[in-house]
This record gives sequence, C-alpha cells and structure tokens, in this order.
Amino acid sequence: MNKMEPVLRVRDVWKSYGDLEVLKGISFDVMESEVKVVFGPSGSGKSTLLRCINYLDPPDRGDVFLRGVRLGEKDTDINEMRARIGMVFQHFNLFAHLRAIDNVAIGPEKVLGLSKEDARQRAMAALEHVKMADWADHYPAQLSGGQQQRVGIARALAMEPDVILFDEPTSALDPELIGEVLQVMLDLAKEGTTMVVVTHEMGFARAVANEMIFIDGGVVVERGTPEHFFRGADSERVRQFLHKLEELYGKEREELRDVDGE
Amino acid sequence: MSVWSQGSPVVALGLEKLGDWADELLAGLAMTLYLYFVALTIGFLLGVGLALGRQYGGPVLSRIVTGYIEVVRGTPLLAQIFLIYVFPYSLNAWLTPDGPPFFMDIRWAIEIGGIRVLSHPILSSILALGLNSAAYQAEYIRGAIASIGEGQMLAARALGLSQMEGIRHVILPQAFRRMIPSWSNEASYLPKYTVVATFITVEDFFGMAKRAIAATFLSLETWLIVAAVYLVLITVISRVLERVYQKTKIPGL
Repeated sequence: MNKMEPVLRVRDVWKSYGDLEVLKGISFDVMESEVKVVFGPSGSGKSTLLRCINYLDPPDRGDVFLRGVRLGEKDTDINEMRARIGMVFQHFNLFAHLRAIDNVAIGPEKVLGLSKEDARQRAMAALEHVKMADWADHYPAQLSGGQQQRVGIARALAMEPDVILFDEPTSALDPELIGEVLQVMLDLAKEGTTMVVVTHEMGFARAVANEMIFIDGGVVVERGTPEHFFRGADSERVRQFLHKLEELYGKEREELRDVDGE
Repeated sequence: MSVWSQGSPVVALGLEKLGDWADELLAGLAMTLYLYFVALTIGFLLGVGLALGRQYGGPVLSRIVTGYIEVVRGTPLLAQIFLIYVFPYSLNAWLTPDGPPFFMDIRWAIEIGGIRVLSHPILSSILALGLNSAAYQAEYIRGAIASIGEGQMLAARALGLSQMEGIRHVILPQAFRRMIPSWSNEASYLPKYTVVATFITVEDFFGMAKRAIAATFLSLETWLIVAAVYLVLITVISRVLERVYQKTKIPGL
C-alpha cells in the first residue's frame, strides 16, 4: 500500500441543520499511523465533523476519501466503508442486551462475515488488548463507565479498521475513570493506530498527537503540532481556550504526563 | 362420593344438568384458546411490521400505518368482525344477484380428526381479532422501540450494519424485552375479546355457555363458571409473561 497516500482525506466539508451552519469548509488529511487531535469549544462542530467523516450524517458539500475511495459515491457500499472506519462514542453506546464479548464479536460476525468461532476469538483478543478479557461475560450495565468505554474501543478494534474516530471518549466519565481509558488510547497510538480524536485531554494530545486542529464556529481556526500550541498559539481565541482548559483540567494533565513518562 | 352423585353440593345446586354440557363447554374452551393464540400470533407478527413501518417507514408508509392503527382502534371490534364476516355474503349478493352459483363459497370447512379447525366464521374471527390486535400490539412495540436510545442504532450503523440489520440484531431484541409489561395488557385483554366470535356463529366457550343456559336455565351458575374460567386463564397468562419478563431481563439494568 502506498504509504504516501493519506488514510483519510477530508476535503472542504460543509454541514448545516436548517439555518444553523455547523461546519463551514473543513479540510485535513490523516496519514498512516497518525494521531490527529481535534479540539475546540462545545458547539463548534467537532462531533458533527466525525459523523460527517463516516457518513452517519452525510455532509452537505465536500468529500471524504478513505484510502482514495470517495464515500457517498454511488458504487461504493457505505456499510463496507463504515466497517473500515471505527468509531468510539462519548456515551459508549454499547449494545445493552449483549455481553461484552458479544458486543465486540457482532461486527466481525455480522459485518465481516467471520464464523461465530473466529469472531469470538477476534473479540477476545480485542478485549485482551484493552485489558477487559476478565469481564467478557458481563453486560454493559454491570460495568463501570471506564470499563464500558474500553469495551467500546475493543468493539472498534475488532473490525481491524483503517482509522478509528474517537468522539470525546472520556468526557462522560468520572474523573477517576478517565485514566484507564486514556492509557488504552495512548497504547493504541504508540502501536501505530491511525486515530482522529476529539478531546479536551491536552495531556493525551501532548503525548501522542502528530497534529492538533482547533475548530471554532465550524472552521479550522488554527492547526499545528502540540509544541506549537503549548509554546503559545497564534490566535488569541485559542490561547484563551487553552488557558481555560488548564484551569479546569490542570491537575489531570499533570497526572497524565506521569503516565506518559513511565 | 362423586360430585355428580345424590347429596353432593353440585347436585344440591342443580348443577348436574350442566354436567351434560361438560364436553361442549370444553370444546368451546378449546376453540377460545385456539382463536386466542392464533389471533395473538397474527397480531404480533403484523404488529411488529406496523410498528417498524411507523417508526422507520418514511413519511408515506408511516402515515398509512398510523391511519390503519387509528381506524382499527377507533371502531368497535364487533363492527369489525361483522364487516369481515358479511363481506363475502355482500360480494355474492352484488356480483351474483340472481342467486347461486355464488361468486364466493361460504360453506367451506377444514376438519382435522373430526374437529372443525377452519371455516368461514372461524377464519373471519381469526382475521378480525388478529387485525384488531395488531393495531394495539403495534403501539406497544413502537413505544418500546422509541424508548431505545438513539446511540444504539448509531453504534450499529457505525460498525457497518445496515439499518435492517441494526433493527434485527440491536433494536428488536431490546424492544421485545422492554415491551413485555405493557404488551401483557393486550395479551390478557384478547382472551376476553374472543367472545365476539360467538356473534358470527363460532362455537367458542362463551357461545357454548349461552347454549348450555338455553337448555338448562342455569344462567347465574353458568356465568359464574364462565367468569371463573376466564379469570384463571388470564391469571395464568399474566403469571407466565411476568416470568418471561424476569427471565429475559438484561442483567444490571
């Protein structure tokens, strides 16, 4: 496979709901093994952007390419494309009636067409990857938020996707549960998983992001390396936002840096 | 001492006359149960279809389904069963006004082992009860579907499941569990509604009781027995459904 071809290309994506313009021309590329962190104030369109990328909410204008193939093209099966784009949700969205193992196995079995046995094996490996193998037979409601989110990540991993989209994966978690999820995500990033992560966890961004993208009002305000942002962003708006985050999450950031420094 | 022998309370109350009708009453009860289970099943299958049509069908289909449900729920069941029952008669009168041969045969019957399992009155009853029950069941099922968080379907679609696969593997298994408590309303109304079959000549439990009364004049006694039998039947149904609900409950929820 051509290493120079982006895994994901987002080209001038626009989206509005009624009169409300949520995205006003967003573009970026994600290369193999790259980690992109998207951040910005709430209501800036980050979640909408992720849903546009896998066409859960098709963009009004603009294109999304997965390894050069345009999504939404008449002869591309959108379900096949989505199977190659993992998604991890803010509220986990685990299937409530299925045990952890079945939550992870359902995709490989029903979408990829693996045998029941093979799907279970793959699901078990994915659960081990997120250190949830011991909880395989538990139902989502029997798991903590952090455990549920790790199963959610395993569900995406088991599909062996080209890229995984994370939609604020830790913002619905109690503070003491955030660490275990971030640790799994850090591990994935270091193993070379291609990721697009919407998050306010600046410690995570600093540790593994190749590029950070600040979105506000549906447009990219500023983009750059973590060093660029933390040395001092160009735009006043971004500096203010980072300052606020620091006030709010300062302590956890320190903790994360310790995790990263191991 | 047998309940039918001289001096027993049964005989003292004059109930031994009803004893002659025991076989007929049992056959009637069997017919009632048969109408019930077939109508409940038809109502369920059609109800699932209607609920899905209303929930996912798009503007045109969901409006048609809503219209059907409103009409069925807004008109008397007795009127519905008469409508279905007289329809072939009216069609015959209209298409072949000069009498036989009729356009549609109404006197057909299917018997298995000497027991009449299907005839024009029985089929009319099954259709009327099934189509009626479907409208009510559809609303219970749709309520359960609507109560399932949007995130479930979103996650299914994000995995690459189609909408139909998402409905089948994610939405319906959860909806069926959730709807049991409210659905058991319909499951316990329906046995009582089967009495309308009596009015189009089906020999169900209620109809047989009426015939027994006509022959024995034991009306109060018979109606008490009829009431007790329905009460037992419905109690059993709700107990069974309660157990099914507990057994299929999702752990931790």
